[in-house]
Amino acid sequence: MNRVRALLQRALIPGLSIITALIVGGIVIVLTDVEALGKLGTDPIGALFKLNPPDSQNLFGGAIGGVLNAYGAMLAGAFGDPGKIVAAFSSGDSKHIATAIRPFTETLVATMPLIFTGLAVAISFRAGMFNIGGDGQLITGALGATITAIVLAGKVPAPVILVMAILASTVVGGFWGFVPGFLKARTGAHEVITTIMLNYIAALVVFFALRSPDLRAAGSTSPVSKNLTPIVDVPNLINLPGIRLDWGFIVALLMAVAVSFLLFRTSRGFELRASGFNPTAARYAGMSAGGSMMLAMTLSGALAGMGGGFMVIGTVGQLTLDLSGGIGFTAIALALLAGLRPSGVVMAALLFGILANGGKLMGVQSGIPYDLLIFIQALVIMFVAAPGLVRSIWRIRTTRPPEDTDPAPPITPTTAASA
Amino acid sequence: MRLELRDITKRFPGVLANDRISVTADRGKVLGMLGENGAGKTTLMNILSGLYRPDSGQILIDGEERVFGDPVAAIRSGVGMVHQHFMLVPVFDVVEAVALGAETTSDRLGTFDRAAARKRIVELSETYKLEVDPDARIENLPVGVRQRVEILKALYRQSDILVLDEPSAVLTPYETEELFSIIRSLAGDGTTVIFITHKLNEVLEVADDIVVLRRGKVAGTADPKTATPQQLANMMVGRDVALMVPKGPAKPTDVVLKLEGVNVRDDRLEMAVTDVDLEVRAGEIVVIAGVQGNGQTELVEAIAGLRTPDSGQITIAGHRTERASPRQVSNLGVAHIPEDRGRDGLINMMTVAENYILDNYHQPPYSRNGILDLDAVREHAAQGVKDYDIRTPSIDTLAGSLSGGNQQKVVVAREFSVPVKLVLAAQPTRGLDVGSIEYIHRRLVEQRDAGAAILIVSTELDEVLAVGDRIAVMFDGRIVGILSGDDATHEKLGLLMGGATFGGGVQA
Amino acid sequence: MTASIVASPDGMGLAARRALRDSRIRGIAYLALAGGAVYLGRSLFEVPAEFKFWIHEQGGDSVSFQANVGVLWMVAAASALFVGVLQLIGGASFRWRPWLLMILGPLLLAVLSDILAGTPAIMTNVMGGSLELALPISMAAMAGILSERSGMLNIALEGKMLIGAFTASVVSSVVFIATGNVLLATIIAIVAAMTAGGLTGLLLAWLGIRHKVDQIIAGTVINIGAVGITNFVFLRVLQHNTQYNAPPSVQPMALPLLSDLPVLGPILFTARPYVYVGYLLVIFLTYMIYRTRWGLRLRASGEKPAAAGTVGIDVLQIRYRALLFAGLITGLAGSYLSLATAGSFQMQMTAGKGFIGLAAMIFGGWHPIGAFFAALIFGFADTVQSLLSILGVSVAPQLLNSVPYVVTIVVVAGVIGRVRGPASAGQPYEQG
Repeated sequence: MNRVRALLQRALIPGLSIITALIVGGIVIVLTDVEALGKLGTDPIGALFKLNPPDSQNLFGGAIGGVLNAYGAMLAGAFGDPGKIVAAFSSGDSKHIATAIRPFTETLVATMPLIFTGLAVAISFRAGMFNIGGDGQLITGALGATITAIVLAGKVPAPVILVMAILASTVVGGFWGFVPGFLKARTGAHEVITTIMLNYIAALVVFFALRSPDLRAAGSTSPVSKNLTPIVDVPNLINLPGIRLDWGFIVALLMAVAVSFLLFRTSRGFELRASGFNPTAARYAGMSAGGSMMLAMTLSGALAGMGGGFMVIGTVGQLTLDLSGGIGFTAIALALLAGLRPSGVVMAALLFGILANGGKLMGVQSGIPYDLLIFIQALVIMFVAAPGLVRSIWRIRTTRPPEDTDPAPPITPTTAASA
Repeated sequence: MRLELRDITKRFPGVLANDRISVTADRGKVLGMLGENGAGKTTLMNILSGLYRPDSGQILIDGEERVFGDPVAAIRSGVGMVHQHFMLVPVFDVVEAVALGAETTSDRLGTFDRAAARKRIVELSETYKLEVDPDARIENLPVGVRQRVEILKALYRQSDILVLDEPSAVLTPYETEELFSIIRSLAGDGTTVIFITHKLNEVLEVADDIVVLRRGKVAGTADPKTATPQQLANMMVGRDVALMVPKGPAKPTDVVLKLEGVNVRDDRLEMAVTDVDLEVRAGEIVVIAGVQGNGQTELVEAIAGLRTPDSGQITIAGHRTERASPRQVSNLGVAHIPEDRGRDGLINMMTVAENYILDNYHQPPYSRNGILDLDAVREHAAQGVKDYDIRTPSIDTLAGSLSGGNQQKVVVAREFSVPVKLVLAAQPTRGLDVGSIEYIHRRLVEQRDAGAAILIVSTELDEVLAVGDRIAVMFDGRIVGILSGDDATHEKLGLLMGGATFGGGVQA
Repeated sequence: MTASIVASPDGMGLAARRALRDSRIRGIAYLALAGGAVYLGRSLFEVPAEFKFWIHEQGGDSVSFQANVGVLWMVAAASALFVGVLQLIGGASFRWRPWLLMILGPLLLAVLSDILAGTPAIMTNVMGGSLELALPISMAAMAGILSERSGMLNIALEGKMLIGAFTASVVSSVVFIATGNVLLATIIAIVAAMTAGGLTGLLLAWLGIRHKVDQIIAGTVINIGAVGITNFVFLRVLQHNTQYNAPPSVQPMALPLLSDLPVLGPILFTARPYVYVGYLLVIFLTYMIYRTRWGLRLRASGEKPAAAGTVGIDVLQIRYRALLFAGLITGLAGSYLSLATAGSFQMQMTAGKGFIGLAAMIFGGWHPIGAFFAALIFGFADTVQSLLSILGVSVAPQLLNSVPYVVTIVVVAGVIGRVRGPASAGQPYEQG
C-alpha cells in the first residue's frame, strides 16, 4: 500500500508536468488560429467554439474545438479505434487486423528509438554529463549501419549483415559520444557545446556521405540512401502486412534492463553514479572521474547509435537526413521525466511515442504542425526541472517529500565551459 | 558605540540556533565571544551583519533599536564584519575589493572613482599601520594581508563596531599578535570590537570582557583578568572536559611511511611543499602542526596519490608510491580521512550504505566480478553504523542529511573497515563538537595501538598536543622542526609555526 | 608484492605539468605550422597574389597589394616560427593570445591567396563581409559575456536569437502592411525583437534563480522551446500567409565623413547600421564592465557572489538585469538575421550562431574586445566559404560548412590555450 502511494507521489509531478504542457500547447494552438482570432472581435463565441463547422474528421468547431480535435486526433493516431480493433479481431481477417492495430504498433515503432536515446541520456546524466548529442550519435550510428549493410550486401548471409550493421552503429555512435567525453575529461571542454557542435558536424557528414553514388538511392536528387530492406531487415514481431514493429523494440527493452543492472548492480555503475554526484569525492575514493565520464559518454553514444542502427535496417529501412528528427532533445525531456531511472525511461518513451506517432495524424487531420510537440517537450522539461512551478500552478501544498533513496544527480555545476 | 543584543532568538528547522541571547559590547572595548562549533556564534554574527533576521529580540545601538533587514542596513548602522572565510573577490585588486559595495562614482555613467578610493585606502592603511599595497591582486596576497584587507573594508565603511569571526584560524602566531595589536589600537580609537573564537588563550589575551555561548544560549560571562582556561573550557562544554586524550606511550616499530626530499606544487603551480623528509612508524602518531596553508594539504594529497610530487621519494610499506594512483595507495592499506569531508570524503546525495563502501566497492565482499552484492553491502554497512555509533535513521538515509559529527563517523568507519597500515587524517575533528572530537581521537589512538602508523594534520595546538607522539611543524612548505610529544609546549610550537627555527627540536 | 607501482593519476595534481606540457605542445604546433607553411608554399612563387582595396566606392579607384602565394606562405611560416620559438622559451606563462593574432593574420592571407590561386581578392568585400557575418556571433558573445560575468551560464543564446529573428520578421511585416513606412516598421520590429529576447532572458533567470533549475537545463528548455514554437508558427501561420514574413530589409547606410576615409571607409563605415551598433556595443561594454561601479559589481557577482552579498549588493538583481540586457542584445542579433542577412524568417535560421558566439566568448577570454576579434575570425571563415562557392572551388560544401563547428570544438577544448572564466558562473547563489 505504501509502495503504491510512494509510486503515485513520485508520478505526481511528472504527470502534472505533462498535463500542464499539453494545456499550454492547447493555448498556443488557439493563439495561432489566425482565422478564429480575426473573428474574435465580432463573434467571440463563434470564434472559439463554432467556426469551421464540425465534419466527419473534426468533431468540434472553433478555436477551442481545434485543440480538442488536435489532441483527439493525436490519441486516435496513437491507439487506433477500439471499435475497429474489436471488429477486426472478430472478423479474423489478417489484413483488417493489421490495419486496426497499426496505429498502436506504429506508436511502439516510434517508442523504440526513444527508449534507446532516453537510456543514452539517462546514463550520461547519471555520470554528470549533459549529453545533448543524441541526434548526432544516432545519425552517425545509422550511417555506420547503412555503410556496413551496403558494403556487405550479397557477400555474407543477411543475419550476419544484421549483426555486423548493429555492431557498426553501436561502435560509430559510441565514438561520436566518446569524443566529447574525452574532451571533457582531458581538457574540460564543456560537453554541451561540443555535443551540439558534433550534432551539426554529424548532419554534415551524413549529408556528405549521401553524395556518394554507392549510398544514395538510385536516381534520387535528395540525400536519401538506398532502401536497405532488401539487403537486411530486422525480423518483425508480428507477421502481418504493413506492420513494422520488429525485434528492435525487444532489444530496446533488454537494453533498459541492462542499463538498470549496470547502474545499480555493478561496481562500474557505482563508479559512474558516484562520479556524477561528486567527482572530487570519487577521485578521493580512488575512482577515475575522467574514466567514468568517457565510459558514460561512450555508452551513451553507443546506445543512441544502436537506436539509429535499428531504425535504418529495421523500422525505417533507409538513411535520411532527418532520420533522428530531434529525438536527441525528446530524449532529454523523457529522461528527466523518468527521473533518470531506466524503467521510467521505458514508460516515458512510450508516452512520447504516443505523442510522436499521434502527432503525425494530428498534423494530417487537423493541420496542427508536428513541431508543436517540440515546444511541448520543452515545457515538460521545464516543469519537471522546476517542480515548484507545477506545484504553484496546481496549488499543491508542499508536503514533505518521501525520502528518496535514489535521487537523480544534479547536473554538476560546470564553470562556463572554461577549460 | 555601544552595541546591545536583547533576547535574540533564531530558529532553523529542527534547531534552536540562538535562544534568547543577550550580550552587550561597550564602546572602545573588546568583547570576546567564546563557544565551540555549533554553539550559535555564526548565527548570531549573521544576524548582526543583516544576513539573517532574528525571530525575536532586539538589536540596540547606543540605546536605539535598529532593524537589520539586509547587510546594507547593518553597514549603515556602523557594523563591519570580518568573515572567517574571506569575502574578497580573488581577481580584484585591493582598491576594487575594498570599495566594492561602497563605491563612489564620478559621472552619470557610474564610472568608478578609483583615484578617490585608492587615496582613502592608502590613508587608512597608514593611519592604522596595516601596510597593504592598494594595487596588489587579492589572490596574490598572503592570508594575513588578506585579513587586513578585510579590516580595511570595515574601516572604509566607517564602521564603529567591528566583528571578527575566528580571525586567527588562518594566521601564524606572529600574525595573530599583529592582529591583536591592530585590534587594541582600533579599540583605543573608540571602535567596539567583537572577537568570536573557540580558542581560550586568545580571548584571555585580547578581550576586555568574555561571553561564553553554549548550545545557542549564553552560558556565562567571565573576566579575563581572573578566569582560567579550564574554567572557560568547562563553561563552553558544560561539563568537565579532559583536555588530554587518555593514551599510553607509543611503541613505534617499523617505518611505514617514508618521505625523502619531497617537493609538491599547488594548483597555482607554486611550490607548496619543499624538500620534506619525514618518517612515520607503525604504532606512533605523528602530527603535522602548522597554520593552514603552509603546504600540509598538498603534502597529504601527495602521499594519498592525489597529487604527483615534482620530485622526491615517497615509500609506503616498502613500495615507492610517488607516481601511484589513489587506488593503488589505498590498496597498500592506507586509510585517508580527507580535510573537507563534505566535499571529498562523502557523497551527500548517496546513502549511508553507499558511502560506507565508497572506496572498497570494487572488492569482495562488496563485489565479485564487477557485480555488487547488495546484501553484503547492507549487512556490513549496518554493522559499521552499529560499531561506530553513527546516529542515522537508517542505512538508506542520504549522507548529506546527517550531522557533521555523524558524517565524520561514516568516513572513519569506512576507512577503518579494512585492515589499515597507515592512517592519513587531515583536520579530522574540524567543525565537530567536543563529544565527537573525543570519539575520533580515541579511535585514532586505538588504531595506533593496533599497530597502524598515524599521520594527522592539525592546525589546532590543543589537538596537536593532545594526540601527537611526535610533532612535525610545517612552515612555508618546509618541516621546520620535529618535537617529541612530551617536549612540546604551546610556546615552542607557536614559535616554530611562525617560522622561527628552534634549537631544541629533535631533527628527523 | 613487488615495489613497482606506476600509474598516472588524472586531475589536479598534474595541473602544473599539464600547463607546461600544453605550452610545449602549442610551441611545437606553431613550429609544425611553420614547416607546413613552407611545404605548402614551396612551389607557389610563380602564382601571383593580389589584394585589392577600393579606395572610395565599389568599382572605383583601387589600391592593390601585390605579392605571390609562395612569399605569403613564407611570411606566415616566419611568423609562426617566431611565435613558436617565443612560446617554447616563455613556457606556461607566455601570453599566447595576443601573439596568436600575429600568426593568424599572415596565415589567413596565405590561405586566402592560395585558394584564389591568382584571382585578385577584393579585400574590401572580404573584410566587410567578414564584419557582417561576424556581427551576430559577436553580439551573441557580448550577451554571453554579460551573463557569465554575472554568474549565469547562458546557453540559451541560440534560442533567444531565434525568437528575436522570428519576432522581428513578423512585426516588421505586419507594421509595414499597416503603415507602409519602412523605417517605422523596422524600428518597431527591432524593439519587439529586443523585448522578446529580453523577456526570454528573464525567463531563463527566473527559472535559474527563482526555481533553482540547473542553468544548463533552463537554457536547453529555451533552446528547444524556441525551435518548437517558431517552427510551429512558421508552418501553421507564416507558410500560408507569406505576407507576414516579408519584412522590408535593412539597407546599408554609409556614415557621413567616416565613410569617406580612403580604404577604411568602404570596409568599416558603409555597412548596415547594425554593424555600427555592434562596434559601439563592444566599446560600451568594455567601458562598463571594467570602469564603472556597475561593472565592478557585475564581476563580483560572477567571481564571488558571497563577497558581493555580504557588502549589501543584491546579487540576484544583478543577475536578473544581466540576463535581461543579454536578452535585449540577443534579440537585436536575431533581428539582424531576419531583417538584414536573410530577408525573412526561416526555420532554425540561427544554425548554431548562438553557440559559436559562446565559443567566441571563451576564445576572447570573456573580454568584449577579445570576443569581437574571435567573432571576426569566425566571420572570416564564413566569408571564405562563400567565396569558394562563388569561385566554384571543388570542395564539398558540407565539409566547408562544418569548419566553424570544428573550430568551435577546438576552441572550447582549449587546444590553443586555456583561459579562465568567471569562477562562479553556473552556480546558484542563496541570498539570505
